[in-house]
Amino acid sequence: MLHIKALSSLGKKNQESLFKRIGKNSYVYLFIAISLSWYLLFCYGPMYGLILAFKDFNASKGILFSPFVGLKHYRDLFQNTEFFAAFRNTVIISFGRIIFEFPAPIIIALLLNELREGKYKKTLQTVFTFPYFLSWVVVGSIVLNLLGSDGVVNSLITLSGIEKQQFLANKDLFRPLLYITSIWKSAGWTSIIYLASISGVSPELYEAATIDGANRIQRVWHVTLPCIRPTIVVLLLLAVGNTMNAGFDQIFNMYNASVRSVSDILDTYIYRITFQVSGDFGFSTAVGLFKSIINFVLLYLFDRMAKMLGEDGLF
Amino acid sequence: MFIKKKKYDTAQIVIAIIMGFWALLILYPFYSAFLASISTQKEFSQNPLMLFPKEVTFAAYQYLLQATNLLVGYKNTLFMLVFGVPFNMIITVATGYAMSRPAYPGKKLFVFLILFTMYFSGGMVPLYLLMKNLHLTNKLIGIVFLYGGNTFYAILIRNFFQSLPREMEESARIDGASEIKLFFRILLPLTVPIMVTVLLFFAVDRWNEWFNTMLMVRDSAKWTLQVILRNIVFTTLDDMASRVVSVEKTYYSLSLKMAAIVLTMAPVMIFYPFTQRFFMKGILVGSVKG
Repeated sequence: MLHIKALSSLGKKNQESLFKRIGKNSYVYLFIAISLSWYLLFCYGPMYGLILAFKDFNASKGILFSPFVGLKHYRDLFQNTEFFAAFRNTVIISFGRIIFEFPAPIIIALLLNELREGKYKKTLQTVFTFPYFLSWVVVGSIVLNLLGSDGVVNSLITLSGIEKQQFLANKDLFRPLLYITSIWKSAGWTSIIYLASISGVSPELYEAATIDGANRIQRVWHVTLPCIRPTIVVLLLLAVGNTMNAGFDQIFNMYNASVRSVSDILDTYIYRITFQVSGDFGFSTAVGLFKSIINFVLLYLFDRMAKMLGEDGLF
Repeated sequence: MFIKKKKYDTAQIVIAIIMGFWALLILYPFYSAFLASISTQKEFSQNPLMLFPKEVTFAAYQYLLQATNLLVGYKNTLFMLVFGVPFNMIITVATGYAMSRPAYPGKKLFVFLILFTMYFSGGMVPLYLLMKNLHLTNKLIGIVFLYGGNTFYAILIRNFFQSLPREMEESARIDGASEIKLFFRILLPLTVPIMVTVLLFFAVDRWNEWFNTMLMVRDSAKWTLQVILRNIVFTTLDDMASRVVSVEKTYYSLSLKMAAIVLTMAPVMIFYPFTQRFFMKGILVGSVKG
């Protein structure tokens, strides 16, 4: 009897008219209105502006009335060597980050995990996570203090009688410097994610491993790492998905004309050709759209992959 | 685990030392910047690794406060915080809450529209043109509007709302509370911890904002702290590369630059240790139930 009643009320619910359901939820639409008023204007508004990629932008005519030129910008783009250099740098730097930067927080987390809880460990964590909250403007300036032509390192070099070095203008040093400063700034913060994952490992596994005679390193290798593998995989997939974003904030605040050939990425290239050089908005929108589309495909693909592996993925 | 160990074993001591060394490597550049800001150019160039200068000078700070618009930068950044953070919160909480509600007509479309912005954006140039068309360039309030919702934080808030027990809502509803009342009186107070976390993240984001202000605000009287810092530090960057500036002059400018850095990051440095646990909560909630 109860069963039938439940079923019939369920049926009724489904038969409720659309209006009734909207009315019942009317308060939700207030929140949606607040949310969408911003999202439509500031996220979807610029997307409309992307049609400029196929137009010759003329400021007096505006986005809508500027004449269509089809794929002209893309024909120019694919013959532009500077664009290809930027594209290449973007991919190289992103993969450099995955190779050099990605393991750093894992190592920090594994080491921190070996320390016992206490004041020392707490203090270490505060120090490690702090630089993450500074802007790249600040960190870039601090790097300048250390490595600039009048920085600390150069003062030392000069005092010992050797000629000053232009560290920040050295093409061979610039990319390693990007990786090192990025580890310095962010690895401690990311290690918190891994530490949380490690704290979820069942203590019984460690006990069992200890009884089997595993030493510290063996415990890390055979217990900790396999247990946090899902976290590692998800973060790795997201990093690969973000290949097109090679770190604009950092590079923009650290690079200069002498190292442009090894550090110019798509974002810095777009910035430069739009606001410093030509100001051909149609062409730079075309570059931006090209980047956005590849970015979308990569993010979508690798996020899907993370989900297929049984993880929550990005959402 | 089995026996309570009292002493650290050798491996732990080695690790503690390595980690301590890494902590010093992180702290030293800040300390060095601070030293450069209070030393005379002569002393710092002759002994850059000193622990503390024999002769302390605050000339750089004095100059900064008197002759540059750093104080104006503080004022403008404060404006960004006071108006920007509440605006961020309103849009983001509304987004997170609407995403957390059980099925309603149009929910799928709404959630799609929000999540899609994480994958795809119009990019720098169309955003700039939009701001120009809306007459929002060269105004700080324009930058405030530009940073509204943050989809990552909205998802964090959605997850938190969804984790609250449904029964509480139901009983309040039976007692005759309206939905709006329910939201403000019952749900919102329960979410204080996550709201504080998101609010702090927004505060840091607004404090660190530089790019869009640099791009869209031409008038230096409206620049935020970070943009002014950038201007002080990087204007002579190209001079440095070509080494045309005399040693004396650049050293003076070095301590000036470092003083500007110290003044820009001091508030973050002072507040961070007290607020650290909230930030950590954010990354933990985000990654465990992301």
